[in-house]
Order: sequence, then structure tokens, then C-alpha cells
Amino acid sequence: MATVTFEKATRLYPGSTRPAVDALDLDVEDGEFLVLVGPSGCGKSTSLRMLAGLEEVTEGRILIGDRDVTDMPPKDRDIAMVFQNYALYPHMTVAENMGFALKIAGVNKDERAARVLEAAKLLDLEPYLARKPKALSGGQRQRVAMGRAIVRSPQVFLMDEPLSNLDAKLRVQTRTQISSLTRRLGVTTVYVTHDQVEALTMGDRIAVLKDGVLQQVGTPRDLYANPENVFVAGFIGSPAMNLFHADKADGGIRFGNTIIPLERAALDAASGTAVTVGVRPEDVIVSTTGTEGLPVEVDLVEELGADGYLYGHTEINGQRTDIVARVDGRSHPNAGDRVHLTPKLGHVHAFDTESGLRLVHAIVD
Amino acid sequence: MSTSHTVRVTPRGGESAKRPPHHAPGRRRLITALIFMAPALVLLGVLVAYPVVYSLWRSMFDASGVNFIGGQNYVTMFTDPATFISIRNNIIWVIVAPVTCTVLGLIFAVLMNRIKWATAFKLIVFMPMAISMVASGVIFRTLFQEDPNLGAVNAGLVAVHDAFSPGASYPGARPGSDSTLTVASDGEIQSQATVAVGSVQNFPLVGLQTSTLPGTAKPAVAAETPAANQITGTVWLDFVPGGGGTPGTIGDGKMGLPGVTVEVVDTHGAVVASAVAADDGTYTINSPTSSGSYIVTLPASNFSQGYSGISWLGPTLVTAVIILSYVWIWAGFSMVMIASGLSAMDISLQEAARVDGANEWQVFRRITAPLLMPVLIVVFITLIINVLKIFDLVYVIPPGSSLPDATVIAVQLWTVSFGGGNDQGLGSALAILLLVLVLPFMIINVRRFKMEREQ
Repeated sequence: MATVTFEKATRLYPGSTRPAVDALDLDVEDGEFLVLVGPSGCGKSTSLRMLAGLEEVTEGRILIGDRDVTDMPPKDRDIAMVFQNYALYPHMTVAENMGFALKIAGVNKDERAARVLEAAKLLDLEPYLARKPKALSGGQRQRVAMGRAIVRSPQVFLMDEPLSNLDAKLRVQTRTQISSLTRRLGVTTVYVTHDQVEALTMGDRIAVLKDGVLQQVGTPRDLYANPENVFVAGFIGSPAMNLFHADKADGGIRFGNTIIPLERAALDAASGTAVTVGVRPEDVIVSTTGTEGLPVEVDLVEELGADGYLYGHTEINGQRTDIVARVDGRSHPNAGDRVHLTPKLGHVHAFDTESGLRLVHAIVD
Repeated sequence: MSTSHTVRVTPRGGESAKRPPHHAPGRRRLITALIFMAPALVLLGVLVAYPVVYSLWRSMFDASGVNFIGGQNYVTMFTDPATFISIRNNIIWVIVAPVTCTVLGLIFAVLMNRIKWATAFKLIVFMPMAISMVASGVIFRTLFQEDPNLGAVNAGLVAVHDAFSPGASYPGARPGSDSTLTVASDGEIQSQATVAVGSVQNFPLVGLQTSTLPGTAKPAVAAETPAANQITGTVWLDFVPGGGGTPGTIGDGKMGLPGVTVEVVDTHGAVVASAVAADDGTYTINSPTSSGSYIVTLPASNFSQGYSGISWLGPTLVTAVIILSYVWIWAGFSMVMIASGLSAMDISLQEAARVDGANEWQVFRRITAPLLMPVLIVVFITLIINVLKIFDLVYVIPPGSSLPDATVIAVQLWTVSFGGGNDQGLGSALAILLLVLVLPFMIINVRRFKMEREQ
């Protein structure tokens, strides 16, 4: 068990001018479950592969514990990796797959068998130990891949989208299994996913990446409540946060025909005459009778049982803007209705339109 | 299917139901099947089955093809030493060539995964496949000619050899008939009697052609009068082209022999001093002692024939050269097959093994090689079958004198049938032998295909 440290770690692919991972600074605590999340091409997998030693580090350093592993081959790093496609050795049985690392390390046969059996019990794989991977279902293969990592008892687990090949139901199940398992084992884990729901549900902390640049690191709650920039605000949360331009007004910002009060310091910090405002769907108050706020025409209401999501559009400064709001599942406006929306006070995020950075630093509940 | 009472399934069930029940349904099906199979059957029959059966039949007749002699051709075949030589050579081929090609192909393919310019390299290795076997045979035959002036390989060897052991060589040089010099049994030329320090010892030699002398040779001159502790003299070609001159005297345009080593030997046979003749043939040896007398000699190395390379196409090496040419051609094939197997392989398997702690060799041995095994076996068996049938290269490369030592079954078959023997009965017997040898590998290959399909 160990900490993991990225120090200005950069990966520049030959022939490319923009680094795939740009000066990544990240500290992972001992025993922590850290999720790297971001859209495809953001450099999250590259970062993980740099940590694994499968990708060269162009600049900067990577440390596992106190060891500088920057130029160390993967075999010496004492890490275990779960690949997206599981990368099970097709010519070996489940037991051989799980015991491969121990065999390479020269662990004797009896101990190897004992440790494989132990891991297999943990993952309900005992009946399948003699099978070849191709005779297993997707979920079983995924567990074998996990087992292969666990048997090693490595310093760090690396997981590269290990759930993306599973069907939706199994994914949710396995999600909980993995997070409870890694917490039980107490092994530092770096987990890559593009799915922000996975990130929110699994991670102790989440690191959001975009275009190779780290956007924000924090606990799921932190990221959800206090996104540091427009990108994180839009990326974390489903449905995504409503983001639109709003003109500055005296003491606040214009929201339809009302003015939402905003701290003076924040207003002063904003460049230009407008700010980017973000309101989460659940922080929108929908009024069918009132006339205050933003007039919105309802396009569609998505029913999810207890809740529903209202999709509508409005015009802000002559531009069509789509808006999502959470509504009650039993009584809600219908498509074609005109409603007025106002945000819950204290739940408005404001960002500088030019830099995209957060203006108000903490939302007071 | 509209008929519930019939078990069989036909493509046009509705029509078959109308047929009268007494009409044998099995025969109709057979005819349909035969019609569909006819094109393939006809081709296979004409091109495979008939030749095999006819060869078997023909192998039981004598050269004329008229008289039935039963197994006599097989008896002849297995009592002819040439058959055993060809079988022996075929065994050498099967043991050496497929393994070498497969291993080389594997090495090329694996290394190619990690270098730049892989495509260019692949193209170069694969290129020989595009050359006809006969043409590559001619190339190799030319390359490995024994005469260094014709064969590039021996030319290279001689050049390298001469670079490391330079020195003029005057093969065939000897003292003139009226000379006082003597020739030792090993070819060394020496002064007949001991020579006192401070005197001159000349070496007039004959038996060389002026045209073979090195370009640096100058007309010989008399050596300078020796100092008290020196022996001097001249080594020259005692011959004037077109006649003239006096034997044993310098002058009349007689040429010096530059580069000849001259040694001074004491009475115990130990060399005490030596020198090398200058362009005009003169030499000066400083004697370690200022008095006494020694024998002055021209060591045999001056007159050795010189290095002329290796007899590649001689009886001992010819098969090796032919196998080399085969490997040159077919390593490309095996490389391309194995490389395609490699590129179909999931690269994350190797990465997983590396993360699991395996070094590059362990990754290769435990992951890459086992996963490549199906491809390796296909390549290997294809090459075995190919090698058993080898003909072109063995027919083209060896000169007539070493063909009997290089022969293989297919060449023997041709020689016996058309190349002089004109006994097509015996030739057919050899063809059947070849078939019997190839058959097991064909069966293995077909079994493998079947197994792979079932997986």
C-alpha cells in the first residue's frame, strides 16, 4: 500500500504538438479510491498507463510511495492493472490467469494455489478455476480480471474502464462490488472512467480531466456542489447543469425579468458585462402560474416515476437556450405549456464568461 | 415445410410432397448433390485422382510401359544408392529448412513490431518471394561460384582474407636450372651454403610471368655493398620477355620482386633476422652479430598458392548453399504469416503480462509464443510439405559434378524419368514414394483446419 504522486507528469506523443497529458499534478492518498474521469481523449487512460509504465513520461515524475518510478519498467512497479477488455490470457485457465504474476515472481506452487483460491472465494470464482476465459460470461471474465489484480496484493490497483464492457444491470452491481472490495482490501486504487455516475458513486475523490489538463480534484460532493469551472459544472451531474449567459445587473444578474442577487465581490471579479450562470435541474423552481423569472416553453417531460425532467427552451439575448428542470413525477406541466423558472437562491453557480472560472466560491445552503 | 410426415428436409419441400411415394427420395438427393459437386469433382479427378492412380499403375511397368513387372521398380528404387542419397538429403532438408525459416520469420516478425521503417524492412525480406525459384537458383549459383573472379561470396572471402594476411605471393617461382640456390621440400628457397655476414646473397628466380608481377615492381638493381653487420642482395625475376640477357645477372630490364620476405637462419634453424624486398628487389638485413655466417632463405609463404575461397558448390557444402537459398526465399513467407498473426493479437495481453511482472523474454515465452502457436504450426507444416517437394533450386544450383550429392527425391524422379534415365516406371515409383512421405503432413494439416473450425 502506498501513495501515488504525479509531479508535472507530461506525455507528448511524437509528431503531436499538444500533450495528451499536460503537467499533471495529483496526489493519491494511501488506500484512497481515486477516479480519473473526463470525456474521451481527455488523457485519463494515458495518465493511468503512465502510472503503469506502459506509456512513456515525457516530462515530470511519477512516484509510488517514495519510489520514483518514472523510468521504471512496468514489471518493477508492483502494481496490478485491470484492463478495459480484461486482457485475460486466452491459453490459460482462470487459475493460471490469476496465478500468473505469482508464478513469474517465483512463488511456490502451494502458496500460489492457496492465494488464488482465496481470491477466487472472494469473487465467487471457485467453480470456474479450471475453465478457460472463453468459456466464461462477461461478468465472470471481469471478476477474473479483478482476481488477477487482487492475488498480487500490489501496492496500487489500476483500473481502466473495467465496467464498460458489461451490460447496464451488471455494471451497477459490479460497481458496488468493486468499491466495497477495494475498501476492504485497503489498497490504493486509481480508477479510470468516462462515466460521471460511476465516478460519483465509487470515488473517494474524483479528478476531472479535459484535453490533458486537470480541471478539479475533490470529493464527489465537492465537485457536485462547487465545480471550479464551467467544464466541471457541465460534466458532473446528470442531467447536466443548465448553463447560460446572463447580463450583470445592479446587485446581481438578470434572470428573465428578475434579478438574482450575487455577491458584489463576485460581480466585480467578472470580466465583461455578462457572466455564465449555472443552475442544476433540481435547483430550478417551476411555476405554471407565476410571471417571475425566465419564461420557458416546455418541449418534453421525461417521466422517471417519482421524478420527471422538464426539457424546455427560452430565448436569452436573442439566442435559443435549452433548459432542464426537475419536476414532480405526479404533477407537472405538459409539453407545449409556458412556464416561468426561477433558481433556488443560494444554489446558483456563477462563472466568468471569458475564463470559465467560478466566481462565487462556496454556495451557502 | 409443408409435409409433416417426412423427416427429410429439402429446399423445395412443397414440390417433393407432390411426388409419388414409390420414387426413391435418396437417389434424387444424390443426383442433386452430384450435380452441385460435379465441377469440383471433375477438376479434382482430372488434376489429382487420375494422375495419382496412373502413377501408381505406371510404377508397375518397365521403362517401355508395355511389360508389367509388379513391384520390381520399387525393388530397383530401394537398391539404388542414389535413392538413399536423395532420401537422406530430403531428411536434411526437412530437419533444417522449415525450422530455420520459421525461427527467422518469427524473429523478423517480432522485432519488426518494434522498429521504425518496419514496412520497408518487411518488403525487403518478402521480396525474394516475388522472384521465380529458377531465377533465385541462378542468383545463388552465381554468388557461390568457386572462382573468386566469378563468385561474389568467394571474392569477398578472399578480399577479407588478404586484408588480414597481406604480402606478395609468387606461386610457382623457383630458382633457375643453373642456379646455386636449393629448394627445400616445403617450397622454401635457400642459399646453398651459409653466407658470411657482410656479404651479398642474390636470388634470381624464374617460373613467373612478367604480367603477374605487382604493379609496383621496378627493374632490379644490384644491392648496395653491405656494411660489416649486414647481408644484402636482390630478389629478381631472372627472365627477359622476348629473350636476351644473361641468366644470373641483373640488368636488361629484369624486374625486382617486391614484397618477398627474406630471412636469415642460424645453424639451428632459428630465424635471427628478416627483411622484405623493396620495389627494385633489393633487401638489407641487419645481422644481430657482426661476424659468423647464416643461411639466407626465402620462406615458402612467398610462394604459396594464396587463399582462393571455399568450394561452396562442391559435394560437401552444396546442400547447405541450396538450403540457404531456400531460406532466403521462404523466410519472407513465414515472416509475413507470423506478422499477421502478431498484428491480430491483442496488445493488451502483452501489457498485462508486463504489469504482472514479466520481463520481455517471459512475455514472449509465456504469452506471445503460445498465442502464436497455431500460426507457427501452420507455417511449419506448410514449409515441410513444400520442402519435401523441393525441385527447382536443387535442379538449378549445383554444377553437374555435385548434383549427385545434392539430389532430392523430386530431382531424382525427374532425372530417372526424363533426364537421361527415360524410365518413367521407376520415376513413377519415386513419385509414389514422395506422395507417401508428404501424406502424413497433409493429414495433420487438414486435421488442424478441422479442429480450428470446431473451436
